[in-house]
Parts: sequence; structure tokens; C-alpha cells
Amino acid sequence: MAIDEVVILENSSVLYDELMAHRLGLLPLKTDLERYILPEQCDCRSPLGCPKCRVLLVLDAQARDRVVTIYSGELVSEDKEVIPISDKIPIVKLATGQKVKLEAYAKLGRGKDHAKWQPVSASVLTETGKEDEFELYIESVGSLTAPTILSKAAEILHDKLNQFATAKGLA
Amino acid sequence: MDTWLIIEDILRKEGIARQHLNSYNEFIERGIQSIVDEIGSVEIESLTNPYKIRFGRVKLGTPRVVEIDGSVSNILPLEGRLRNMSYVAPIHLEMVVEENGIVREQQTQHVGDLPVMVRSDLCALSKMTEQQLIDVGDDPNDPGGYFIVNGSERVIVGLEDLSPNKIIVDMEKTGGNEVFKSKIYSSIVGYRAKLEISMKKDGAINIKLPSSPVELPLVIIMKALGIETDKDIANAISSHSEIQDLLEVSFEKATEVHTVQEALVYIGNRVAHGMVEEYRLRKAESLLDWGLLPHLGRTPNERYDKSMFLGEAVSKLLELKLGWIDPDDKDHYGNKVIKFAGQMIADLFRTAFRNLIRDMKYQLERTGQRRGMNVVGAAIRPGIITDKLRNAIATGNWGRGKVGVTQLLDRTNYLSTLSHLRRIQSPLSRSQPNFEARDLHATHFGRICPNETPEGSNCGLVKNIALSAIISVSSSASEVIERLTELGVKTTKEADQTTRADGCRIFVDGRFLGYVLDGEGLVNQFRQQRRQGNIHPHVSISYVRPKNEKAVGRIYVDVAAGRVLRPLLIVEGGQPLLTDETIQRIAKGELSWKDLIQMGVMDLVDANEEENCYVTIDQKSLNRDHTHMEVYPSAIFGVTASMIPYPEHNQSPRNTYESAMAKQSLGFPAPTYGYNTLVRQHLLVYPQPSLVATKSTPLLNLDQRPTGQNAIVAVLSYEGYNIEDAIIVNKAAIDRGFARSFFYRLYEGEAKQYLGGMKDNFEIPSAESNIRGYRGEKYYRLIESDGVVMHESVVSGGDVVIGRTSPPRFMEEYKEFEIKGPYRRDTSIAVRPSETGTVDAVFMTQNIEGGQLFKVRVRDMRVPEIGDKFASRHGQKGVVGLVVDQEDMPYTEDGIVPDVIINPHAFPSRMTVGQFIESMAGKAAALTGHPIDGSAFTGEGPEDIGTILKKFGFNSTGKEVMYDGRTGRKYAVEIFIGVVYYQKLHHMVADKIHARARGQVQMLTKQPTEGRARGGGLRFGEMERDCLIAYGAAMVLKDRLLDEADKTKIHVCEKCGLIAFHDIRQRKYVCRIDGEQSQISTVSIAYAFKLLLQEMMSLNIAPRLLVKDKV
Repeated sequence: MAIDEVVILENSSVLYDELMAHRLGLLPLKTDLERYILPEQCDCRSPLGCPKCRVLLVLDAQARDRVVTIYSGELVSEDKEVIPISDKIPIVKLATGQKVKLEAYAKLGRGKDHAKWQPVSASVLTETGKEDEFELYIESVGSLTAPTILSKAAEILHDKLNQFATAKGLA
Repeated sequence: MDTWLIIEDILRKEGIARQHLNSYNEFIERGIQSIVDEIGSVEIESLTNPYKIRFGRVKLGTPRVVEIDGSVSNILPLEGRLRNMSYVAPIHLEMVVEENGIVREQQTQHVGDLPVMVRSDLCALSKMTEQQLIDVGDDPNDPGGYFIVNGSERVIVGLEDLSPNKIIVDMEKTGGNEVFKSKIYSSIVGYRAKLEISMKKDGAINIKLPSSPVELPLVIIMKALGIETDKDIANAISSHSEIQDLLEVSFEKATEVHTVQEALVYIGNRVAHGMVEEYRLRKAESLLDWGLLPHLGRTPNERYDKSMFLGEAVSKLLELKLGWIDPDDKDHYGNKVIKFAGQMIADLFRTAFRNLIRDMKYQLERTGQRRGMNVVGAAIRPGIITDKLRNAIATGNWGRGKVGVTQLLDRTNYLSTLSHLRRIQSPLSRSQPNFEARDLHATHFGRICPNETPEGSNCGLVKNIALSAIISVSSSASEVIERLTELGVKTTKEADQTTRADGCRIFVDGRFLGYVLDGEGLVNQFRQQRRQGNIHPHVSISYVRPKNEKAVGRIYVDVAAGRVLRPLLIVEGGQPLLTDETIQRIAKGELSWKDLIQMGVMDLVDANEEENCYVTIDQKSLNRDHTHMEVYPSAIFGVTASMIPYPEHNQSPRNTYESAMAKQSLGFPAPTYGYNTLVRQHLLVYPQPSLVATKSTPLLNLDQRPTGQNAIVAVLSYEGYNIEDAIIVNKAAIDRGFARSFFYRLYEGEAKQYLGGMKDNFEIPSAESNIRGYRGEKYYRLIESDGVVMHESVVSGGDVVIGRTSPPRFMEEYKEFEIKGPYRRDTSIAVRPSETGTVDAVFMTQNIEGGQLFKVRVRDMRVPEIGDKFASRHGQKGVVGLVVDQEDMPYTEDGIVPDVIINPHAFPSRMTVGQFIESMAGKAAALTGHPIDGSAFTGEGPEDIGTILKKFGFNSTGKEVMYDGRTGRKYAVEIFIGVVYYQKLHHMVADKIHARARGQVQMLTKQPTEGRARGGGLRFGEMERDCLIAYGAAMVLKDRLLDEADKTKIHVCEKCGLIAFHDIRQRKYVCRIDGEQSQISTVSIAYAFKLLLQEMMSLNIAPRLLVKDKV
């Protein structure tokens, strides 16, 4: 999951709203594929989604008397399982008196649409030298475990092949 | 020995804009006072009470603004920029009213405002600490050195000029004849007189002066100057017989003139022909005193000096004729000086101050009777100086045809600002070839950047000073003369016959001082004195040994400001005097570079003195003959060229291209972007310091103000989408923020006051209140009741950001039958068509006239897209050809996917090997986690980098096995991949994309408007027309050029062929010439053609259209 919609209630930081949203989007979130569905498969039709297809994270930070760096750990999620993979990712540095208050909506999505939904940081398919044998190496960013990524990918591929077969009348 | 520390110390302590600041500070400390002293006083001539106003000390106040209500407050540059004001300080002048030598009254008067150079001694910022600068909202790294006039930052670009008062000999060939010339640009403050001595085929020597319409014979001038006998004249020129022999013809031509008086009469007859005798003589005298070598003095007392100087100039001319010496090289940098802001402002101030005094004198003489300081005070119009200075800096118009002296400071990025402040311009015309002047000269070494110059018409005329260059400041000539006489120089009057005949001639600051027998010895002693600190370090001495031993040696001592010096380490006995220990002390901050000069281990030499030096590049090639050693080799580059890694591996023009391109790259110009009010500005969102940096990167603060990002770059072709220098960019990289930037545009609106008490109003123009030019409700939807848009509103082309109405342009008389009352005009400011964005900031303030001023800044996020321009640091530019999904990009065995793919064809012909090395070095830097030094000549070489790569398990050549992302198949060859610093340039498709189907036309010609901003058409030009003709598509041609263009119908009289007009009473077209006999027919032509016919008619030409029926 990755943050896809951000409602900014207050932002007096040096980062513009669109940049703040961009940075939040790039935070990798721990994801449970069983509990959430893709927004386009959800029947809620709401632009900000429903509990089935999104997670709300809230950030309310302020620098009172000194310059502070706001880290990913300060995002409060409505789902304890869906949190940034690390709480040490810097989001923004606030000077005294600056304040950020926002609601971020994390959703499932595909890496094809935006790199923030890529579950892997490296995915390498190499030739082994033997005919028709390949070696696949994947490295997770932490949102999903490597086995989950692989099985989910296989599942999606399988579904696509089935769809293709159905469409062509092969099944 | 890390001698870079010296260069670093020089630039850190002196700052990047030191030349401007030194020059300006000199002007405010001494220059302005001396200009006032030149005039000194003014006599007020009146019949009854003549009196005199004497000028005393000039005092400059602090930068301040006088508001419309008269209140005065001190300001900082920031306020000037924000409120469109000028950053100026008041000039106060002490004035004394004297009557018959008795002081009557004394008072300090405000005589005008002086533009203040940012960070000069007059600027409040120069006294602030870094923290204070941050607190007041200014960039501590801003170099200063520019002015703020009417809110905009203007730089006075350094102006290259021929050094004054030098004897330059040359041989010109005109139509097969050799003409030998000796030229002197004799200059005193604010005045220049060119003297030209020439010897033509007949052997007679003549002198040309600006104040004389004809050439004057040399011998007569010499006689007029007081040397009456031919023998003395010959001796004043040279005691060498071969030279004296060449004077024969000249003497023959002046046989009838014997005495000074006769010579004066002769000159008077030529200069002021046909005038009364008294006037002729006066004219001749003034020619000698003012027109001839005025730098030596302007009274009869200096005529002897002038004759000696003239004699020297002739001697040099004849030595050239005899082939004893070579012609002088005009492009030698020793013959050039650079004028910076201080000198330029001084020129301007001199004329402005004279105008002010003249005006004051006129007013006081006209008012007559009344006297006293009050009257004097009232007669001063400070506007004369204030306006003159402000207008000159605002427009760059310096008077006397000098235009383009000032330029708007380039704020594209930090680097471009630095480079702009170190730019120098040659006064030579850019339309003439001037090949030699454009060439890189050996004397530019270490003074002028060899690479940084524009391409095209200004190539080689616009230059940039090198990192190691130091611009001389003027020092006292009289002190130098004192030292020289102590060292045994005999002046022209003291010298005996042998010294004159065999001695070296010594010139100090353009004056002929005297002779010395042991020239070389004197020069050495003088240098020793200078190294001991007895003489100013900027004073240069050079000894010119002639190629023929019959000619005399000449020594030139120069104290002038604006010479380009460069530091060189002194070598004695094959060893540099600088020790490691001294360097260590500089590193610790115990010593400054200036101490090195005081310690006598480093010299500052100008191009003339360098001719006497034998300089080694480094210690390896040092031998016992060397006198000097380079401080640091890569300091010969200017600011932009010095940030190119491994430039010595590139083909030289590539470095030139990169020097130009780096100034267009987006970066982080200043941390003050929150309140900058530049009309256009860019900001790179995630700027990175380069992994492969050069020594100058931290020195120029480029690590804190970067201009690009480190990209992983693979060199391979990709489906043809990167041919012709296009680049492939990884979509995931873009998603993660690669090359993301912001574009800011400022919209400005002020409320003006008009005659008759009417003024502009900021409001939402309403449909009901009779407003001309009302745009429609939807365009005003974003503005609030104060007339300005709300912060963070999303705006697009046509949306009004500042709503404003103005009174009618002309006051019309009251129309009785007009139903509507008086109207107002809509003069709202709207977002440019084809631009969009978010309102970033709204500034509300007051301009100097007291009118309300709104500035609205709109920002637009620019995510890289196809067509955006990028470049590496090696002159390799290209546009994005395709954005590819990460899964389709090639990858290495480690899973590294490139951010950018460039085409291998970019390399063979361009030979930018530096980019390969940078790529490998970048990879090594990424692996080790430490930046790598890619400085010219001294950076970490390819071998060392290869070793690092090997250590980390990579191929030492930078190549890797890669797989095609689409197929998963291994590429047949290894692919070169590494980390290269990429710059996003400010040419983006979003600013250029344009198409038109239908749209507005020009009023005059009814043809489509021109340019994207006006929704203009795309020209179907002559060559396109030729294509259609060649193809035979006549109907297409007619359709494009007539039917769908500016088609009109006109009525032509078939009989006379002239245009008929419509008579409203007869309700038909009539021909004025043929009347009833005419046969009118309608013709379809282009409106532009109709216009042509009518314009011809207005010129009394009768264009006739001969019409007949189509067969």
C-alpha cells in the first residue's frame, strides 16, 4: 500500500502541499493483501475510499521552540498493521512555529501506475546457462515479504493467462 | 604540497565578486571625493554680489528610502527588490559660501542619491554576520557586486579596455605601402586623447591629434614644445646615429621654422585657419597643453616632459622601422585593463555632478540678488545626479553611444550568478571579424578562462576571469618613483649623455621617468623591494630587452587599477620558497594568502611582468632556471569550466559548450526562494551535490547550491528512441522525484494615480458597473474583495490574479445622449495563456510613489516529460525521447536499473572522454560512499578508479553484463554503465508546446499573429511554398495562402486598373478617374496585397491591376 490521496488541513512548512504529498506517497507501508482490495474493485465509489479499500493515516506535527525533523514514525495509522516499514524516514524539517496537519489515505495500487507501489527494490532475472532455466532474485522494500510478492505475482500472472484464454475461447 | 589551499584562501577571503566590490569601495572612499575636488568650487557671477561656493568633504549616508509622506527609513536590498525601489544612499556635500575670500556660511547639502552596490562597504549587509544575514532574510552566500535599481538586480559587466598612456608601435600595410605608426591613448580622468605618430613612405614623421584637423610635422611640434635646435630634437629622440639618420626627411620639411614662436604660428595656421592671429596662437598653445599627451599635464610647465615622451615614442617607431624591435601586440593582456563598476560609476558621476553644478550656477545667477545658504540649498536639484545614475544603471545606457553596460543579473542558478559577476566584455564590435582579438592569447593563461565564452557573434569578445585572477587596485605612483630614484634611476633632466645613450628607459604609470644603466639589476632590486613589502604588491615591473642590441632596453612600471594579476610562487635555486609548513599554517588559518606575499614567497604578476618570468607547471619539471611555479594548475579555469570533471580528457569545444549550458541548468539558486520576486525562476526539487566533484565545488558553494542530480546512466541504444542525442528516462525514477522542478512566474500590478485625482482600483470588476474590457465572470472567480487571488488557488491561462480597474484613458467630453455614465477600463492582470500553476505567494506592499503594489507568484510543478532538455557536464545535451517503465528498462546482475539511457553515437565524434571517466568515478564514489575528485589535471585518474571498481567486484572498465528488461535476455555485449551528474536545463516542452487552428489576426495586415504567447500561427514560408509549387499542388497553395489566410475582395476599375471606392449616395462602386465609363469588377486578393497597393498609393505611386476575364 502507498499513500495516494492527502488532505492537507494545515501546512506552514517549507514543502509545498504537492511535494509533501509526493514524499508521503513514497513511504513504503507494511501491507496486508488479505485485508484490503484495490480501489477500482471496491464497490464504495467514494473518492477517498472506504475501510475496505483504504487506510487513513494522520500526521499532526508542530515545531514549538526548536527546529524538528518529522519522521515517518509520527504518522498515526487507523490500522496498526499498515504503518511505514521504518519510523526513521524523514518527511519534513519544521522550523519553529511551523505546523503540518494532514490526513493521508493509503491505497493498494500497481507499480506500473506509480513506482511507490513497487514492492521490490531489485528484481533480477538472470540466465543460468541451462536452456529455458532462469534465476529470479527479488529484494523486497518491506511492504510485503518476498514469498508473498512472488506468489501474488504468480497469481496475477495466472489470472491474466486465464483471462487471455477465456477471451480467446481457449479455456 | 597542497597549493590548492592558497587558491581557496584567496577566493574565500576575497569573495567571488571582489573585483566589483574593490572597485566600488575605492570609488566611495576616494573616487567620489576626488571628482568633487576636481571642480573644487564654483563662482557665482553676478554684477552686484559675486561670490563663490567651495565644495568640501563628501559624506555618504546609509542606504535609505524617502517615502511619499517624507518619512525616511533605512532599507536593506531585500526591501528594494520587493517594493521595486532602488537601493541608494544619499550623497551629502559640504558647501561653503565665500565672499571675497571670507567664509560666510557653511552647510552640508544633499546633492543626490548614489546607487549602492550590494555587499559593498556602504551596504548594510557587509557588516552582518552569517546569522544576522539569515535573520534579515538574505542569502549568506550571495556574492553581492550588483546594484538594485527599480527593484531589479543589475550588474555592471567588466569592460576590457586598452591600457592608457602606453606607446604602441605597429606597422600597417595600406595598398602595398608600409606605414609605421606609434599610438598613445593618453588618458586622464574622464578624458582621452589619441595621439598617432606615423611615418609614411616618404620618411617624414607626422603627428595626428584629435584636436587638429590636419597632421602636423614632428619637428615643428618639438620646436613648439621648446626644443629649438635640430640637434637637441635629434638627441631627444635618440642618440643613436642610425635612428638620427632617419630623421633627415622630417627636418627638411621644417626648414622654415626655427623658433618656438614660429612653430606656434605654424601650428596656429593649421589648427585655426583664417582666424585672427591672437586666437590662432591661443589655439596652438591649447593644442600643446590639452590636446597633446594630456596625461603628462595640462600646463606649459610640462612641455619639456611631453617633448621627451614624444621623442621616446618616435624612437620606438624608428626602432621598429629599422627592425630592431617587433611591433607591439595589441591583444597581449599586458596592454589591456578592465574597468569595473567603480570606474564606470565614476565616469557617470563626473558628468552628473558637473551638470548639477552648472544647473546650480545658472539658477543662482538668474535669481541674482539673494544670497546665503538657503538660496544655495534651494538651487540644488538632487534629481540631476539621482536620475542620471539610476537611469544609466537601469538601462545600461552610459551615454556617448555606450549601451549594454549593465545587464540583469542571471539568477538561473547559483553558478550562473557567479559566472555573470566575473564576466568581462570587449568594446570591439561584434559585427566585425576581429579574428585576433577573439583568439585565446598566451597571456590569458591564469587570467581569463580558456573555455568559457559564448558561441556565435560574441565568441571571444565576452570572457570570464579565471579563478586565479586578481584585479589590481591602483597605488601611488609617486611612492614608486621615490623608490626608483633611491635605486639609482636618473630622471630625464638629471641624466648625463652616456646614461641617455646607453641606459634603459624607464616608464612609470605612462610617464617617461628617466634612465638607468643596469636595467636588469634595477628590475631585480625593485622586485626584491616589493617582496620585502616596501612597494605595493600590485605594482608590476617588466624589462623589455630588444631583439637587436643596438636598440635600448625599456622598463615599464605599472601602478594602474584594472590589470589582471595572477599569483605565482617564487622559485629560487630550483626550489620554491614556499614550504609545506607554511601551507599547513594556511590550512590552520594562522596565515592568509596575503602573508605569502609579505613573506616574499609569492608574487602577483601581470601579463607584462610574466614576460620576464620562467614559470614551471609543477615541481616535477622544476629546474634551476625557473623563477616561478604555478600555484595550482586547474585555477586557470573560470567558475563554470572549473566545475567540469576531467575537462582535460575532453575535446576543448565541449568544455566551452558545457560552460554555456551549465548556466541554463536548474538547481537551487538561493535559500531565499520563499520571498524572491524575480519574474521567472526555477527550483530543482531534490538537488544533489555531484559525486564526482572538483576542487572548486565546495569553494564556490556548489555543494550547497547544486545544479543537478547523480543519475545512473547506461550507454546503449534503446529501440531508436534515443537517436539524435535523445535520452531515455526511467519512469520509476521520475515517479521518485528525478529532475522534478518548480517554475515560478511573478505577476505584478500597481495602482497608479492620474491627473484629476483619479486612480486605479483593486477590485473584482463587476458586470453591472459599465467596465470596458470586462472578461466574463469565470475569469474573476478566484479573486477576493481586495482584488487579489487567494494563496494556493489553482490557476490557469486567462484567470485573473489581480483585479484592477482604471479610469478612461482620455477624458471625453460629456455626451448628452450616452445612456451609460462614465466608464472604467478593466486592466486586470491575468495568468499568461498556456501557463498554469498554483498561487504560491501574494505580496502586498507600497511602491515609492505611494501606490499600492501587488505581486503574485504562481508556481508550477514540472515533472520531466518527453521533450525536456537535459545535459551532462561534458557538453552532451539531449531531450527526453521516451519515458520507459522500469520493468522494461535494462538491468544489471545486481538489479541496478539505469535512470537514463544515452546513445553510444554521442561519443565517437565528440570525444568527451571526460564523461566516461566521470561515469566510472561516479560508480566508484557510489560504491565507496565518498565523493571522488575529478579536478582538471590533478583529479583521481582512470587507473585509480579502475582499481576501486575492481575491489568492489566490478569490471575496471566500467562495463557490466546487462539484461534486456523486456525479454530477460542477456545483451550480447557488456554495457557501459555508471553514475553521471545530469543537469535539467530550463528549456521545457511545457513552455514551448504550441499549435493553432484558428485564432486572432493582426489588425493592420489581417494575417495571423506571431508567437506562442499571442496564440500565433505557424508560418507557411517561402520554402514550404516552393514545395507545393514543385509538387504541382496549386489548389493547396491557393487554399493555404489565400482562401484560409487573409482573403479580401476589392473593386477594380477595368479601364484604369485603380481601386474603386464605394459611394454611399449612389450605392455603388465608382472609379474616380473614369467615372461613368468605368467597368468595375471584383477581385479576390490577399489583404496584405491590398495594403501594399494602398501604401504605394500613399507614396504617389499608381499601382494598376490589369483585369481581364478568365478564358
